[in-house]
Amino acid sequence: MRATGAEAAVAGAAPIAPTPRRRRRAGRPPAALVVVSLAVGALFAAPLAYLVYRNAVLGADLPRLLTSRATLDPLGRTLVLATSVTAAAAVLGTALAWLVTRADLPGSRVWRLLTPLPLVIPSFVGAAALVAGFAPGGLLDALVVRLGVERLPRVEGFLAAFVVLTLLSYPFVLLPVASRLASLPPSLEESARLLGRRPRNIFRTVVLPQATGSTWAGALLVFLYVLSDFGAVSIVRYDTLTRSIYAGRLFNQPQSIALSLILGVLAVAVVVAERIFSRRRRVITGAAARPALRVPLGSWKGPALALVGGTVGLGLVAPVAVLGFWAVRGLVNAEGAVSAVAADPGRLVEPALNTSVVGVVTAVVAVAVVLPVAMLTARHRQRLADLSNAMVVGGFALPGLVIALALAFWVRKVPGALVLYQSFPLLVTAYVVHFGAQGLRAADVALASVPRHLEEAAQVLGAGRWRRLATVELPLMRPGLLAGAGLVLLSTMKELPATLLLAPIGFETLATRIWQANAEGFLAETGLTSLVLLALSGGLTWALVIRRADRLS
Amino acid sequence: MVRRPTRSLAALVAVAVLSTTMLSCGGGDDELVIYSGRAKNLVSPLLERFSEETGIAIAVKYADTAELALLIEQEGDQPEADVFLSQSPGALGYLAGVDRLAALPGTVLEDVDERFRSSEGLWVGTSGRVRTLVYNTDLVDDTDLPGSVFELTEPRYAGQLGVAPTNGSFQDFVTVMRASTGDDETLAWLEGLVANGSRTYANNTAILQAVSRGEVPFGLVNHYYNERQLAEDPSSPTENHFFEGDLGSIVLTTGVGVVAGTDRAEEAERFVRFLLSEEAQRFFSQETFEYPLANDVEPVADLVPLGTIDVPRVDLNELGGGLQRTQELIESSGLERS
Repeated sequence: MRATGAEAAVAGAAPIAPTPRRRRRAGRPPAALVVVSLAVGALFAAPLAYLVYRNAVLGADLPRLLTSRATLDPLGRTLVLATSVTAAAAVLGTALAWLVTRADLPGSRVWRLLTPLPLVIPSFVGAAALVAGFAPGGLLDALVVRLGVERLPRVEGFLAAFVVLTLLSYPFVLLPVASRLASLPPSLEESARLLGRRPRNIFRTVVLPQATGSTWAGALLVFLYVLSDFGAVSIVRYDTLTRSIYAGRLFNQPQSIALSLILGVLAVAVVVAERIFSRRRRVITGAAARPALRVPLGSWKGPALALVGGTVGLGLVAPVAVLGFWAVRGLVNAEGAVSAVAADPGRLVEPALNTSVVGVVTAVVAVAVVLPVAMLTARHRQRLADLSNAMVVGGFALPGLVIALALAFWVRKVPGALVLYQSFPLLVTAYVVHFGAQGLRAADVALASVPRHLEEAAQVLGAGRWRRLATVELPLMRPGLLAGAGLVLLSTMKELPATLLLAPIGFETLATRIWQANAEGFLAETGLTSLVLLALSGGLTWALVIRRADRLS
Repeated sequence: MVRRPTRSLAALVAVAVLSTTMLSCGGGDDELVIYSGRAKNLVSPLLERFSEETGIAIAVKYADTAELALLIEQEGDQPEADVFLSQSPGALGYLAGVDRLAALPGTVLEDVDERFRSSEGLWVGTSGRVRTLVYNTDLVDDTDLPGSVFELTEPRYAGQLGVAPTNGSFQDFVTVMRASTGDDETLAWLEGLVANGSRTYANNTAILQAVSRGEVPFGLVNHYYNERQLAEDPSSPTENHFFEGDLGSIVLTTGVGVVAGTDRAEEAERFVRFLLSEEAQRFFSQETFEYPLANDVEPVADLVPLGTIDVPRVDLNELGGGLQRTQELIESSGLERS
């Protein structure tokens, strides 16, 4: 095996070094990088620009909307839900990431594969399955009645929304943190252990600070995801801002557009605030040349297994059980043409193929597109780069319907772009605009943790910019970029509104099949197709993300 | 070792892009483009039959009715869509209101009773679905069934009813109520539901499951949801109650309109005619459990005959504020937040 430049450099260098607090300016950024970053920022600003334009044309009374209780109450609920889900997902995602990558948890490879999967369950399916499983009269009810429980509580309102969204969104934290922890140099922990520190102490003082950047990166994604969610909150009947946006989408467009704009501006404000805050954080750089340490859990093994197993049980096994129940019940009772797919699962092959292709293509394109923005922000810290960064990340908070309509709008306004309408490239563009934030947050963190002195050493040795990128930075960023690509992959595979409106005619994905079946009450098909989607995303995540990320160790 | 996977990934992506481009070269200029708000499971065999019989190639985009209407509005005078197949008259009325539908010839329109088509001749109903009260037979005695939808605000139904206020069918029903009884009485009914502790759900499917579980004994839905539920789960304790001669069981139409500015008007009209043919009407009756609206085709046996159902004529264009006003009424009643 030939060591790459990065590995050779790491082997000889002190593996960890805190970045100085002062702002770094590595000279003027290359013009090409600036131009590309601004172009990317402009692309990602398309939905917000559309909202501003439409709002101006439709002329909703923004001041009145902003002060009416009909806006403020749902907005308040949206913020309460987003904040609490973010806090819970940050803790849960970080804890699980550490357990599956750094602790001697039994079966940790299996857990490593299973724990990110709840992310691929479309939120309306996840919520509907949990309601069917846990609500009064549901599947679990029949069991617990025998145990003496009179009646289960209704699955609705804040608590239900909080539980469902936390279970579906903690992978936004888990994947980046796990890839970060898996690639951390073990030397610090070894030193701490030699100095007689106890494992719990080491976790708090050594491991946790190194994961903080990734936890924040994921937490912001969770926050924005909750802002944009409509599927879960509508099923469990928690009245947030997206409900008003959705309810008025056709017959009260002025209000719907204005509320979307409020949501978009809120998202950008949160992103900017987070950036300012994160500047004050110390970034610990470092790269692993050897496998990460596994910490013996000792007597904590039981509780740790219970936490991982409980999360996977509620977030993955429970929905899968309900979906499986629907599928089997429908197949057993299938009456003629009730559900074509239940009778002939072969019809799912093409949607499954389409789903895999758009998922993989989007993941690769999204990471490639946001990488220049990440480099400009991390290495040169320009105001314009920050703006591009905020645009990319803010796009994740808008409902998918807004992204789809915005792109359909601009394709008709920009001369010559009409050929792209309902084409595969436009569909991928919509996904990238919607989910690029996930790749960017991961790239930001991955880049910030690349030790500067390695790049400087390469520069001194005469390596050109591209050579440094290819041999030093990209290999070191690989686990982080893969985690970002994994998030984009899973999100794309379940995307619905943009797929329905912008896909080439006849291009079906598993998610569109699930939506159609569920909307018309074909539960067997909903169940069967969702199970295929889960199996497929599990396979792809394993083959393309986890296996590759782990190969480093 | 680091480089090889990157190269294989690039190859994978290249293959993926190629295969997808090949898979997706569907929509060409020589096809009739149908935007369908009706689900593929329900109508695709019928649409394929049209293509086989006429030799006209079709390309169908299936999505949410309201969102397709938004897309057609945005496509403006260079429409991609030639025909719009809608799950509800509301979305067709909306497109008619923004001048995105072309007039249909009188010979097409007269096949269908004037209650089920646009008064300006811009769209025509293709099938009917009846609003019903689905109930849980384990929890409800036949004697407790209401005779009118207006009785649901009475104290004996307190906390007993599930509705889906964001659902298009519910909103169409409320629009019809406004037309027959006026805005004041409609608002009073909606507020009565709120005061009575009626429970809201995301959609018809969610209501049906809640009634089937026994979480709520009654639900206002369209009639065919229970047919599907029973097909998949014959043990489901759910049954439809039709309100005879009452607003509660009005017929809501699915419909079709030709998009203004299409360059395939002739094929589009043939498609509309086909949907009203005996063959298509029989399909709606037997395959989707709906009410046929043309050519004297009979509905399936266990549905009450259309003649016994009260169908007030409602013209969305004449009704003040149309569906936006309906939504405002629902919003101000507080039903969506209950």
